[in-house]
Amino acid sequence: MSESTKGEPILIADSIDVRFGDFQALSGFSMSVQPATIHALIGPNGAGKTTLFNALTGVRKPSGGRVVFNGHTVTHASAHRRVHYGMSRSFQVTSLFSALTVAENLRLAVQARHAAEGWVFWRGPARRRDISDEVDALLTETFLTGRADTRAGDLSHGGQRSLEIGMALAGRPKLIFLDEPLAGMGIDDVHRTKGLISSLSSRMAVLLIEHNMSVVLDISDRITVMAAGRKIAEDVPAKIRTDPAVRAAYLGSTA
Amino acid sequence: MQALERSPNLATAVVLATLIVLPFVVPATLASQIAIFATGALSVALLLGAVGLLSFGQGLYLGVGAYVCGILAKDAGMGLIPALLMATLAGAVLAGILGSVIVRRHGVYFVMLTLAFGQMGYFAVLAFKNVTGGENGLTGVPRQFDLLGLSIANPLAMYVFMAGAFFLVFLLVQRVIASPFGSVLAAIRENEPRSIALGYAVARYKTAAVALAGGIAGLAGGLHVVFLGFVPPSDIELEMSQRLLVIALIGGIGSPGGALLGSAFYTIVSEALSEIWPRWLALIALLLIGLVLFLPGGLWSAGRRISALFERKTAHE
Amino acid sequence: MSAQLLLFQVLNGVGIGMIYFLLSVGLTLIFGLMRFVNFAHGAFYLAAAYIAYAVVLWTGSFWWALLFGPVLVAILALIIERLLLRHTYALPHEAQILITFAVALIIQEAIILIFSPLGHNVPVPSALSGVLFLGPYVYPSYRLAVIGVAALVAVVLWIAIERTKMGSILRAGSESAEMVGLLGINVDRVFMATFALGAALAGLAGVLVAPLRGVEPFMSAEALGIAFVVVVVGGLGTLSGALVGGILIGLVQSIMSTLWPEGAQLMIYAAMALVILIRPTGLMGRI
Repeated sequence: MSESTKGEPILIADSIDVRFGDFQALSGFSMSVQPATIHALIGPNGAGKTTLFNALTGVRKPSGGRVVFNGHTVTHASAHRRVHYGMSRSFQVTSLFSALTVAENLRLAVQARHAAEGWVFWRGPARRRDISDEVDALLTETFLTGRADTRAGDLSHGGQRSLEIGMALAGRPKLIFLDEPLAGMGIDDVHRTKGLISSLSSRMAVLLIEHNMSVVLDISDRITVMAAGRKIAEDVPAKIRTDPAVRAAYLGSTA
Repeated sequence: MQALERSPNLATAVVLATLIVLPFVVPATLASQIAIFATGALSVALLLGAVGLLSFGQGLYLGVGAYVCGILAKDAGMGLIPALLMATLAGAVLAGILGSVIVRRHGVYFVMLTLAFGQMGYFAVLAFKNVTGGENGLTGVPRQFDLLGLSIANPLAMYVFMAGAFFLVFLLVQRVIASPFGSVLAAIRENEPRSIALGYAVARYKTAAVALAGGIAGLAGGLHVVFLGFVPPSDIELEMSQRLLVIALIGGIGSPGGALLGSAFYTIVSEALSEIWPRWLALIALLLIGLVLFLPGGLWSAGRRISALFERKTAHE
Repeated sequence: MSAQLLLFQVLNGVGIGMIYFLLSVGLTLIFGLMRFVNFAHGAFYLAAAYIAYAVVLWTGSFWWALLFGPVLVAILALIIERLLLRHTYALPHEAQILITFAVALIIQEAIILIFSPLGHNVPVPSALSGVLFLGPYVYPSYRLAVIGVAALVAVVLWIAIERTKMGSILRAGSESAEMVGLLGINVDRVFMATFALGAALAGLAGVLVAPLRGVEPFMSAEALGIAFVVVVVGGLGTLSGALVGGILIGLVQSIMSTLWPEGAQLMIYAAMALVILIRPTGLMGRI
């Protein structure tokens, strides 16, 4: 855990509204994330956490409000543009290139950051030693070195979740969105991944949706609690743990 | 096509061997046609195999290439190579323009639009019949047989030229799919939302692929008019798009070499059957249904399965 | 342009447009429910047109053709759906496209085998072979009858879809076929019925067009292209989309055929390109 730094937030969400037809998924939601911190987003199912992620990362345009990232207003920027501003995300439902190897998945993620490389059509990818070095580093960081040549679809669930994180890291983001990274993981994987996420805060801000309360309370610098499309609490873990509104929203569900 | 084609050198060898053997097995004029339509089918196979985009409209670009090459040779007195280059460019530019619009749509919508625009080509030819000759086709195209000092007037020399052109395009396509650009196309084919989330400007990549395929088809059209000496309107009718698609599917889209196998099969079978039974196309259609249901990889994968069978047999011995 | 000519062109446009509507509404309904585009749609149109030709040739009665055309084509569609298509619903959409495309080829070749590759004329039914006087203007009766029949079909379809139980199942199924299945309704039967209906509507279009344009084996490819244009312009999945798209395209074609006859067909595609740029989902579309 690192101390939250004062100064300009890396991400500001200002009065975000998202509507699906008649259903208001998010109402006037505002929050900010400080650089080099781990900021968790918790709340019961259906609270709108993934919808918020989608609005912030450009997968779904909000019907109202503003998103400012690293000083740029990105409210209506396309998803792939936001990646170049420094956002990166993993998905709640694992979304990988299942037919390709783990190494190729990571290589594609790294290549995306070197934007011009993707347009090279006259030679093979292997020539770029710097890219393959980055891939090796990512394999090590996500504990997947031994599985580099495995088909991503053949990995264990925990392995796939780790690969998801690895691909998000490849973008060297300033803010990484992790959507339930620990879901379905076994105890050992949870422990390792928790360490990995913790270590990220020295290089980037982390915005994390997670249901595993003990991990959240342990590694987060700040926690925002959502219910029914609104923010109901936001504070340091110690205060959130004892907040009566939070208790009420969860109605006894704990980790 | 797999991002890293399983054995590109083997594919190259098979293609080269086929190209060399072909003129000994069939008349040189037929062999030329095989090479030309293999080039056209390559444009379909590239889009479907590498990017996962099904196009019912590559005939449009082949037709455009043929007309551009023919008109430039006839009215502007352009030489062989420059006219072919212009045909390629015309196909690529038109495909790039149309492509930038239709890649915004996905799935069946995309396929429908390729067919609709594929239809458009014929009506454009009718609309400008002063230049194109309308329903009668473009006649009076000067025969250009001087290729940098060598003559391609005799059928065998013509075939060598056509085969050479196909081989160059084949090598180019192999290169492209094994390149970083090709890996992005494969990523888009495998999981488009993921590719966007990684930061790839997917629409731009798709448009580029469509433009490349359009250029290849345009070249095939130019080669066709060099071969025929005139441009029949059938070069731009929907039937051409369908033919290229069928050839690509029969040959198999898993490898660019499939286009040659498919073209050889289709051209030879249609020549042989059209005498016996004019409705042979119905048999091809039945074959297509069988392929889709039972052998999606086409002839190329059948070849691979047979060789895999041999490998297993020798391993057990 | 004189008033007579203008009226003529507008009526022609609406007439063609209504045919295009009939041609496309089946396609769009099938897509709305089953989420696949039937590339054999033009072949159903073709088959019915030739059935009309044959029936008129043998019986001399256009009215029998009007019955047999759509009905026989619906039966053909049912057979194809039962034997072949139902095995493809789980496959990726490219597979369905290619299979229906192959079926279209087979139907086309069968027609050529039975009837010869040349086109034939179909006589306008004698009861409708005259002209109608609309005030000081004249217009061919048959064409008016076509507009009338198509309009009637549009109204009947609308009532059926919006007001009947079958229609509400169709609408619900367009939202979620899975849900409809879970509610205990036999989704298979609904698919079959919709597919047959779509084919019958294409068939009706084919029969009605036969006296106007004659029949020839390659009209299926042209019809498919037109149906796609209409559906792209009007929006995929809705009755109103097929109607608006059909009439708009019909009017464009008709008006352009006086201003620039050679370019009339081309202008249809230009109109389509324009609509894609401005409103990608089509004028009435939601998908």
